[in-house]
Amino acid sequence: MTYYELPIKEDVPSTVNGLLREWLVHGKIEAVIAMQETPSGKSAFPAMVSDPDKLNTNVFAPILPVSIGTMVSKMTRVRGSTSPIAVVLRSCELRSLVELVKLKQADLNNVFIIGVDCPGTFLINTFSSYPGKGNPTEAVLNDEAEGYLRSACLNCKDPVVESADMVIGIFGADLKKNLILDVKTDNGNSLIKGMDLKVLKDDGKRKKAVDDIRKVKDGNREIFLKEKEEIKGADKLLEFFETCVNCHNCMKACPVCYCKECLFDSSVFDLEANKYMAKAKAKGAFKAPTDSLLFHITKFNHMILSCVECGLCEQACPSNIPLMDIITGIAENAQKEFGYTPGTDPEAPLPMVVYREEEFQDVGE
Amino acid sequence: MPDFEPSVVAFLCNWCSYAGADLAGTSRLKYPPNVRSIRVMCSGRVDPVFVLDALKEGIDGILVAGCHPGDCHYQSGNYKTNRKIKLIKKLLDELGIESDRVRFEYISASEGQKFADTVTEFVFRLKELGPNPLKEECQ
Ligand code: SF4
Ligand code: SF4
Ligand code: SF4
Ligand code: FES
Repeated sequence: MTYYELPIKEDVPSTVNGLLREWLVHGKIEAVIAMQETPSGKSAFPAMVSDPDKLNTNVFAPILPVSIGTMVSKMTRVRGSTSPIAVVLRSCELRSLVELVKLKQADLNNVFIIGVDCPGTFLINTFSSYPGKGNPTEAVLNDEAEGYLRSACLNCKDPVVESADMVIGIFGADLKKNLILDVKTDNGNSLIKGMDLKVLKDDGKRKKAVDDIRKVKDGNREIFLKEKEEIKGADKLLEFFETCVNCHNCMKACPVCYCKECLFDSSVFDLEANKYMAKAKAKGAFKAPTDSLLFHITKFNHMILSCVECGLCEQACPSNIPLMDIITGIAENAQKEFGYTPGTDPEAPLPMVVYREEEFQDVGE
Repeated sequence: MPDFEPSVVAFLCNWCSYAGADLAGTSRLKYPPNVRSIRVMCSGRVDPVFVLDALKEGIDGILVAGCHPGDCHYQSGNYKTNRKIKLIKKLLDELGIESDRVRFEYISASEGQKFADTVTEFVFRLKELGPNPLKEECQ
């Protein structure tokens, strides 16, 4: 691991764009997958760019319309790439990508993983009609946008990428002068080879800045979990989901919801009329076939151990159901129970595919 | 609620627990009649959604029983089910729905007595818990 200085040219986003451009121009990679701004600047979306002249990335745009983890999965799960690609992603995106690799739904062959420090993201509409001063990317880089961050970002599990080929760092950097390139692997080294970069003496500033931001998020999280503790029990759950319109957007947006075809989009729950009649008679009344509670609990059952707390489910909900209010706690506690932290160690097996012969002897009690 | 009789659905592995239940019956062992048994070819066949759906429909308790460690006819169905049930129970705890309504046991073909005891204990516990709160809800 070595830190290098990447001098800021015009501004932060264009400096990173320039770096990616250089790799493309010099043939170190054949394409980049990164957040690219729309021409109006009102949105950004993951794009795969091979023509350096079409490169218009802004990897710090505080918006996460979809996870790049999901995109890489879509693009590599049939077969991995045979030519080199650099993928630039935030911590939660990379964590979901690691889970997708374990689920055999993504292939990282020939993929350079470039992490970026994440100062957080806004809801899509907050980004596109940013109510604050100036431009949203600058605001978030200058730490002036905390009030606009999504709840998942305020409570972010970890805004810093640990394992990648390289991390583009803003924490601990003087953004008037330079960014920090934290080069972590030989692959990372091969990307910067031949570039005229100055080694940055490690004065502990970055580590301190990273520790500080982690502390802030952990603190937020603790308060958040306390506040939401009481959403428990049948009545509260039904109330929590009462505005759910069963659109399944939360499932579609979730990077780790792994079924290729959702059971709840199939016809397994479609019964003959007489069965519904029997059900109505047994219960007195039931919510007509769209049963949201079973959908949500089953969805949790599938993805909760891999949940990276990106909050994309909540962002996708047309009814503004604050899904993270319950998911954050459940994910943390369920993962703890299985001693599993999703998205960190690519070698750690998914809890539901391994077993030990002597374990959890208490399930019967 | 003194006269509350809980409803129980039991998913029983064909190779062991189902035969165990049968033995309990033919040996005329006494156990509460609250159980509806569903035979599965392995406890590993029990998808968590079966358990969750039964709970949602208002069933008071769900028992899943499979072969003892080392005895599963498909090598690891029982171990994996153990983990799956563990996760369901944790999830229910987190959601504030009594996880004691779900139970997993290893019961062999010769353990008629264990089957009867398990059901007796389970029904006793379910009586303590009272009716499944989801039963009366319009959902
Ligand atoms: S959840 Fe964390 S890593 Fe993901 S966008 Fe928000 S702050 Fe960034
Ligand atoms: S459940 Fe929500 S927070 Fe968790 S990984 Fe899926 S989209 Fe992200
Ligand atoms: S996105 Fe919202 S409304 Fe749609 S299924 Fe999920 S919780 Fe329900
Ligand atoms: S065959 Fe009985 S549990 Fe698998």
